[in-house]
Amino acid sequence: MQNKNNDRLPITFEQLVAGYEFPPGSYELKHSVIAKYLEAVGKPGKQSSPALEFIPPMAIAAYTMTAVLQSLSLPPGAIHTAQELEFLKLVPVGATVNCRGRVAQKLNRGKLHLLVIELDALNQDQEKVLSGQATIVVPS
Amino acid sequence: MSVLNKELNLSDLHQGDSLPSAVKHITQKEINLYAEASGDFNPIHIDESFAAQTPLGGTVAHGMLILAYVSEMMTAAFGKSWLEGGKLSVRFKAPARPKDILTITGKIDSIEYKEGIPHVNCGLESHNQKGETIVIGKATVKLSS
Repeated sequence: MQNKNNDRLPITFEQLVAGYEFPPGSYELKHSVIAKYLEAVGKPGKQSSPALEFIPPMAIAAYTMTAVLQSLSLPPGAIHTAQELEFLKLVPVGATVNCRGRVAQKLNRGKLHLLVIELDALNQDQEKVLSGQATIVVPS
Repeated sequence: MSVLNKELNLSDLHQGDSLPSAVKHITQKEINLYAEASGDFNPIHIDESFAAQTPLGGTVAHGMLILAYVSEMMTAAFGKSWLEGGKLSVRFKAPARPKDILTITGKIDSIEYKEGIPHVNCGLESHNQKGETIVIGKATVKLSS
């Protein structure tokens, strides 16, 4: 998976504020990319199946997270603690997905920081195919 | 017949029904494969010496990998309706570690109608071989006509 818009310097966690919008990204979910994803989630038999017409929505969620967060430099040890997702439309294998992310909340909890990021994925017609919210705990 | 094309009859779904559970063995190899596939190379997942020095004490699986298993169970239960009308809200209660055996289960909590369209509300849970809860949450499926 390659984000086509990965040409900016990462923003640091300290620079983030609520409301910050990450640079939009896009990526192409080719058959080979989905095959690699399916192998990783333990479904290698499905990768060559002609029945695989649609991208598993968790693959779209994972690639959207990666595309959005690759413009963010998080301290090592950051942990994903909660996730909300809504799958809105089927996406055929081979489609290009556009994604965007926004900081919904940034909170301090003693030695830990809580980051809530809203995510959207859109198809080539700019229709929303997935939306979600990730909560990440970041160590000091 | 592909699970995506299976007929889903509302009359076959009842409050209290269990969804088909899934059992998954977590390995470091699988975690590394997921890091490669997703591009998430956070060292907490793949660097054993780094992870050993954190409060977690060792590498842990990606939360999104565990959710892929949850989604697989929901797809098996609801087919295409899940892929284009599924909603998921979960909390990661404890880390899934290499050598863990995860069981993912779900149950229909209720069926309700919104604007005439049936929505199935499910409770979800994943626990490890020690009985520790790894993921807990809920899902809603808007059934396609």
